[in-house]
Amino acid sequence: MSMDKQDSVKSLFTAQSAKVDTNKGDAYYEALYTQCRARLDDLKKLAPLNNRMDFKESIEEEGLERRDFLKWASATTAMLMLPASFTPLVAEAAVMMNRVPVIWIELSDCAGNSEALIRSDGPKIDEIILDIISLEFHETLMSPSGHQAEKQLEEAIEHFKGKYLLFVEGAIPRGIDGYYGTIGAKAETFVDHLERLAKDAAAVVAVGSCATFGGIPAAAPNPTDAVGVMDVVKGKPIINIPACPANPSNMVGVLLHYVLTGTVPELDSLLRPKFAFGYRIHDNCERRGHFDAGEYVEEWGDVGAKNNFCLYKVGCKGPMTFNNCSIIRYNEGVNWPIGVGRGCIGCSEPDFWDKYAYERPMANANIKAPTGGVEKTVDEFGLGLLTAAGVGIAIHAAASVVAGKKSEDSKSEENA
Amino acid sequence: MSKPGYKQVKRMTTFMRLNHWVVAICMVAAVITGLYIGHPYYQTFIADPAVDKYVMAWNRWVHLIVAIIFDVSSIVVAYLYFFSRFEKPYKKLIPTLKNIVEFFEVLMNLLTLNRRKKFDSSHADSFNAVFFFIFHLLLLWMLLTGLQLYVQIFPHGHSSIGAWWPWVLHFATDWTLPVSSWMIGSTASGTNVMDVRIVHHYSMWFIIVWVVFHIYYQVWRTIFWREGDIAIAFGGEKFTKVDKKV
Repeated sequence: MSMDKQDSVKSLFTAQSAKVDTNKGDAYYEALYTQCRARLDDLKKLAPLNNRMDFKESIEEEGLERRDFLKWASATTAMLMLPASFTPLVAEAAVMMNRVPVIWIELSDCAGNSEALIRSDGPKIDEIILDIISLEFHETLMSPSGHQAEKQLEEAIEHFKGKYLLFVEGAIPRGIDGYYGTIGAKAETFVDHLERLAKDAAAVVAVGSCATFGGIPAAAPNPTDAVGVMDVVKGKPIINIPACPANPSNMVGVLLHYVLTGTVPELDSLLRPKFAFGYRIHDNCERRGHFDAGEYVEEWGDVGAKNNFCLYKVGCKGPMTFNNCSIIRYNEGVNWPIGVGRGCIGCSEPDFWDKYAYERPMANANIKAPTGGVEKTVDEFGLGLLTAAGVGIAIHAAASVVAGKKSEDSKSEENA
Repeated sequence: MSKPGYKQVKRMTTFMRLNHWVVAICMVAAVITGLYIGHPYYQTFIADPAVDKYVMAWNRWVHLIVAIIFDVSSIVVAYLYFFSRFEKPYKKLIPTLKNIVEFFEVLMNLLTLNRRKKFDSSHADSFNAVFFFIFHLLLLWMLLTGLQLYVQIFPHGHSSIGAWWPWVLHFATDWTLPVSSWMIGSTASGTNVMDVRIVHHYSMWFIIVWVVFHIYYQVWRTIFWREGDIAIAFGGEKFTKVDKKV
């Protein structure tokens, strides 16, 4: 076992438990309220950063009313598992999101999380908030390129030293000294790039499955030796927001929590915020009743599929996946994978591409994984072992029959 | 009543036999329902309303109930290992010279097809003690991984019998996450319940293999030793030759 695994064993034993505590008592929330109030008052004194957008104007421009915003604020308060009394604070914090500098870098990835960040059927409040955050650097979205972009990054690091949140999208390849992935004219490797930027960050937020656990770049056989942020960055608070792509609501949740309290939210053993990853998809799935009833989609397009039956038998991994998709869904609650009749592929879990993302039942997978296959291997191995034992027994039994029932004292016995 | 030259020896108490068959039935039920939970291999009648079917729920119900019976029986057996008034199996597990010699003698007996039999077959032997100990370890591992999978249904930390129960389960079984991950050689950055589930699934096969050998070996002993060993599990007694003392 490597040191990291030892550490994780240690932390598992010392963790109180993985449970999600939704009510921590009045005393706790009163203290938190005071802390948030002070934090927001401090932030208010700061001028907005470079971002020119004003939240109130943005909302009006998009044709949304203040009422929509307040509805959003109370929903977000609930999502963060805070009491309703925090709603005004959340609304206030949302307006002051442009006071917290964010640097967003992309490593081995497909920019899917940036896509999730900026695209939806029409900008809703989560997206607007992500528009107005003080995004100091984002290669994909910014207009400068080349040396200008690099200059922008250096200035941002210098200017907001120790204050900025570093959002990382994409895995970090470590093979051939990190040269599977380089950035900039000086060919700085992703590893060096991440370490340098993380050094001066207030906290690092790994967004998407690649940045959290290595994701698809780290899928077997992982030719580039890709890993997630937490395997590279040490000694900084890290928040993982996995999923492919990460849900913008959860990004907003983490940001808001930081703006509101100045701290990172409560995390689970995989450093995922508990408010978002405390429950399994399965626990709140709209098709759960069909699971218990044994009503499954047997094949795509059958009667079961038309009746919204459970997708477990066509490979849904909801029972093994921690995420809040089944509660908050995607794109402001429009829909989500299971809602459109596709099974969950467990995209927010470590190693999901090898262990989850096959559209067959749990015990029926035949994909290449680090072990050489997951479920199917287990059954084939088991059947093989059983066959081997059976063959061994058959040989022994056959030999026994051929040899006959003799024993040391068989002669005397026969005489008796 | 026994053949002349043989005497009856008591090998299993009524409770031990009862436990044996309860465990056997539980195991069959656990395998049948466990395979269904992993892959629902039969269909339900599509026209029946969901409330009448409840098939997965019943399968899980049976699986979890037999698991609990299994677990509790294991706790009792673990107690009897040390404190049984009939015989204390742990005594045959301590690697003393006598036990080690006996272990290899019994093994040689099996491998030489009963050509060599230099141990007292009237009482429990070290070979079976070790064999059963492996089984108990497998069961314990099944119990711990099973409870780790089970505790996932309490993300909120509450249960019908109180918040202490999920807490105990987390405390007792969270370490199976990294251990399972290590067992299947996972290279992922983190651990998850999928690793535990895969290992739980693997262990089932090891237990089935164990059972196959167990049944074969007891039948083989009965045929070759001619001491009625198979009757131990039913009547609690076997026969042994009076004149033969080792």
